[in-house]
Amino acid sequence: MRNHFCGSADHAVGRRAFLGASAAGAAAFADMTGLGVLGSPALASELKKGQKRVILLWLAGGASQLETWDPKPGAATGGPFRAIPTDVPGVHISELMPEMAKRMKTTCVVRGLNTRNGDHGGGAKLMMRGRRDEAGLRYPDLGAVVAREMARADSKVPDYVTFYTQTEGRSMAPGDGGFLGARFSPMELTTNDTPDFIRRPDGLSDLDHKERAELRESLGKGFARGRAGGDTLGSHDEAYGRVRGLMASESLFNIGKEPQKVRDRYGPTQFGRQCLIARRLVEAGVPFVRVARAWWDSHGQNFETHQEMVPELDHVMATLIDDLKERGLLDDVMILTLAEFGRTPAINASLGRDHFASAWSMTMTGAGIKGGSVYGKTDAKGGTVTDGEVNAAKLFATIYRGLGINPQKNYFVGTRPIPLVDAGTEPITEVLA
Amino acid sequence: MPAPRPDTLKPVKDFSRTAATFAVARAAGSPTLYLGAADFKVSEADLSASKPEAKELYAHASYVTGLALAGKWLVSGGYDGKLIWWDTEARAVARTVDAHAKWVRKVVASPDGTLVASVADDMVCKLWDAATGKPVRELKGHAEKTPQHFPSMLYAVAFSADGKLLATADKVGHVVVWDVAAGEQLAAVEAPVMYTWDAVQRMHSIGGVRSAAFSPDGKLLAVGGMGKVGNIDHLEGKARVEVFDWKAGTRVAEFPGDKFAGLVNKLAFAPDGSWLLAAGGAGEGFVQFFDVAAKAVLRQEKVAIHVHDFVLSPAADSLVLVGANKVAAYSLGL
Repeated sequence: MRNHFCGSADHAVGRRAFLGASAAGAAAFADMTGLGVLGSPALASELKKGQKRVILLWLAGGASQLETWDPKPGAATGGPFRAIPTDVPGVHISELMPEMAKRMKTTCVVRGLNTRNGDHGGGAKLMMRGRRDEAGLRYPDLGAVVAREMARADSKVPDYVTFYTQTEGRSMAPGDGGFLGARFSPMELTTNDTPDFIRRPDGLSDLDHKERAELRESLGKGFARGRAGGDTLGSHDEAYGRVRGLMASESLFNIGKEPQKVRDRYGPTQFGRQCLIARRLVEAGVPFVRVARAWWDSHGQNFETHQEMVPELDHVMATLIDDLKERGLLDDVMILTLAEFGRTPAINASLGRDHFASAWSMTMTGAGIKGGSVYGKTDAKGGTVTDGEVNAAKLFATIYRGLGINPQKNYFVGTRPIPLVDAGTEPITEVLA
Repeated sequence: MPAPRPDTLKPVKDFSRTAATFAVARAAGSPTLYLGAADFKVSEADLSASKPEAKELYAHASYVTGLALAGKWLVSGGYDGKLIWWDTEARAVARTVDAHAKWVRKVVASPDGTLVASVADDMVCKLWDAATGKPVRELKGHAEKTPQHFPSMLYAVAFSADGKLLATADKVGHVVVWDVAAGEQLAAVEAPVMYTWDAVQRMHSIGGVRSAAFSPDGKLLAVGGMGKVGNIDHLEGKARVEVFDWKAGTRVAEFPGDKFAGLVNKLAFAPDGSWLLAAGGAGEGFVQFFDVAAKAVLRQEKVAIHVHDFVLSPAADSLVLVGANKVAAYSLGL
């Protein structure tokens, strides 16, 4: 399912247009990092044909389902917030999300997650990978699988980018290529909004850098002539080619290239800025971007925490949906909100909610997903799933299917076949478009 | 008459509640307690009963977080943004007012019972005619957003003993003293230590100035909250009180807390000014008595509940604490 150039006339035109619009003379580095090329209908069309992408909004620490997607107003466990109607008849969400309430026709809510792991580290691994690691076998996470499945073979942009700027919980939820290896591990941004170490050193001119690459290529060809083992050299060539592409991709992280009114739409917060960068990245063909927003672990003052953080999520998520829709990308980009778990219905003495993995919620928007759908129900107090229980494997099977990936597809570790999700797991067909 | 000494504080009785109680009001000398709680209800309980029991009077549409008695009027405020006037004589709701666009955090009555003040997360303090429920004026002196662009919260409000001054205090530690009659800002002081913004680990905030009280002569203003917090997942900052000479704009005393973690949710001076009482909590609760002039802790005790509010009798001989699932009465000086 990997998206190789198929050689068709349509794609050839698109590809030529794409290359032509890239930096002059840089055809050898057919990157997608000059966002101007995305004004090309041929390229936009090419990107749209099949390459699905994902933006994961990782609500690290565990956002409360009761203060977001599954409110229980009036219940002893419901907390102080009201539920408000949405543009989907009969569906209510927290009053903290008025913008998403107007956009629920774009979004599916899964309310019946029962993932049985209320530990930050274990829960994060489970919900990043869709399964538990085995002894001696580290599974790739969702980003790595999507990168593996969706990355363009000739792409020079990163395949998997993750923002996790806050320190809390970061080490418990690292992006991980697992057995797919470093090729599909993420470019991790942890200190600021721009990748470290991809900028050309000041003492090296761009011309020098290109000439070094040409010299390396020339020597490599001479070395390879008449020798077996071309795969190894090809791998080196690909790696060096990606270096040039990744260097050129720095501009994708620069929201200064966006009009002020677009930046204003996303708002002044770091989460808003990073989601705008995520949009720029997927627009340029990056298959998977995670924007981690930490830290929702509200053992004390749960309602104040959510009063502070949910409006930001509501605003930024709604803006992201609108922006992708206006750019014709929402059918190809899936936005997920997910965390390691939700929060207890019970309210503790500090007016906090604790870890809870038995009945919580997530959302899917866009590519392959039936907007306006709600799957699963919880009881009146939010303590148990009463209908439509979903575990991590089923959720991942649904995500993969929505992206057009066969969840039962096998990878091979040695000779051992490894399906993308636990064998026999079926997706939630009711929420697939 | 000297106020009872803090070392005479003794528990009298308590009773459990199924919901956290956020607000309490009591008329001088009356055994009747009015309670506002997380069950959205305003209830009353007879403290003289052998087994006091809360009985519902009426309900809001969310948590009830403020209660004030002004003569025969009980005025309640809640997270539904409404103020409800209950006629304690007729035992009926007299009016419901859409008072604020966001959560009402606290409601207090002026000492003469003519005015009611409410503060809410729309960052406005509103003064109301206690008898008619008509708006009198709005006091706007708090920013709607924190410096980090998140919604701020206006937690605390207190009248001075003569009713001429009003103090309001917000999440980021900004405290304003108002001239009630003129509706003008007289002074502002800052308690920034009570606001923790974690920009590195968790990217959100906790804390805020949760309580305020004037000294009987109106010269000092005490504010309460919690000191800087390392792990803002929990209320683990030390309970903190600062006292200001608000006219001079100087802090005259600080009680950073050495024993209890959590928020100071309520403050009150003894009627003779000899001590300052603070109460609050985290997972557990506490009461603390301070000698402001001597900058000394007189007494601090763990109590069975995270205290959200208390009512101290005019003679300071009776104290009722309310909080997480319990109401507890204490005596002083007996």
